[in-house]
Amino acid sequence: MPSRRLFLKHSGILLTAALLTGKFANVLAERLATHFAADDFITLYTQLIDKRTVTSSNQLNLILPEIAEDGAVVPVSITSELEGIEKLYLFADKNPTPLLAEFELTPLIAPQLTARIKLAESCNVILLAEHNGALLRTSRWVNVMRGGCGTG
Amino acid sequence: MTNSIKIRSQRRDGYTEVKLLITHPMENGRNRDANGELIPAHFIERLLVKLNDQLILTTNMAGSLSKNPFFTFRLKAGNSGDRLSAEWTDNRQNQDHAEHVLD
Repeated sequence: MPSRRLFLKHSGILLTAALLTGKFANVLAERLATHFAADDFITLYTQLIDKRTVTSSNQLNLILPEIAEDGAVVPVSITSELEGIEKLYLFADKNPTPLLAEFELTPLIAPQLTARIKLAESCNVILLAEHNGALLRTSRWVNVMRGGCGTG
Repeated sequence: MTNSIKIRSQRRDGYTEVKLLITHPMENGRNRDANGELIPAHFIERLLVKLNDQLILTTNMAGSLSKNPFFTFRLKAGNSGDRLSAEWTDNRQNQDHAEHVLD
């Protein structure tokens, strides 16, 4: 009964695939939940850099307004001339959820990005970049005029 | 559901500038409505951008990005007719996607 055997074989493959996909989705969800947890900045940051060395870099540019009128919408721009940045992490150290975003770049994307972020209060915005296994960092202070509860 | 994603692109000398606007409340779960009730968290968790079905940019986020997220990014290449697609998933497992063809 080749068709029955084939059916069993294929259903086995499908089941394994389904299990693996489910497992992968769970791992991802867990990782995201840890990274984007509502915790203090130092705890999350320490956990994320995981004992790796962080070097302050002037090759990363983080452009933000010095004074943000409305903390609910703050434009941010990230630029760099470095080739081969793999990942960018953007933090606000006073936000209840300090990690704002993670960008996973590929060689087809130049590190020239903009986004709009929420800032709960005046704070440092920190950019970390993974580049050839090294961690580079830059930061900017932003004065937030109207932030407060709930924006971050 | 009307499409929540708008994609625009502009070919420049040697690169393509892409703008992406998504309609989404991005509620972080700490805001209150007019009656003082907490508004439940509702935010996009993951945004994937693909060029001709190849993944080129992954963005993970939570409720700290502004309502109606707006991103711009730069594609190093980009040829006329290339298909650029974006898809998001939020914390309620809602999803949406859109496709855009480069001029």
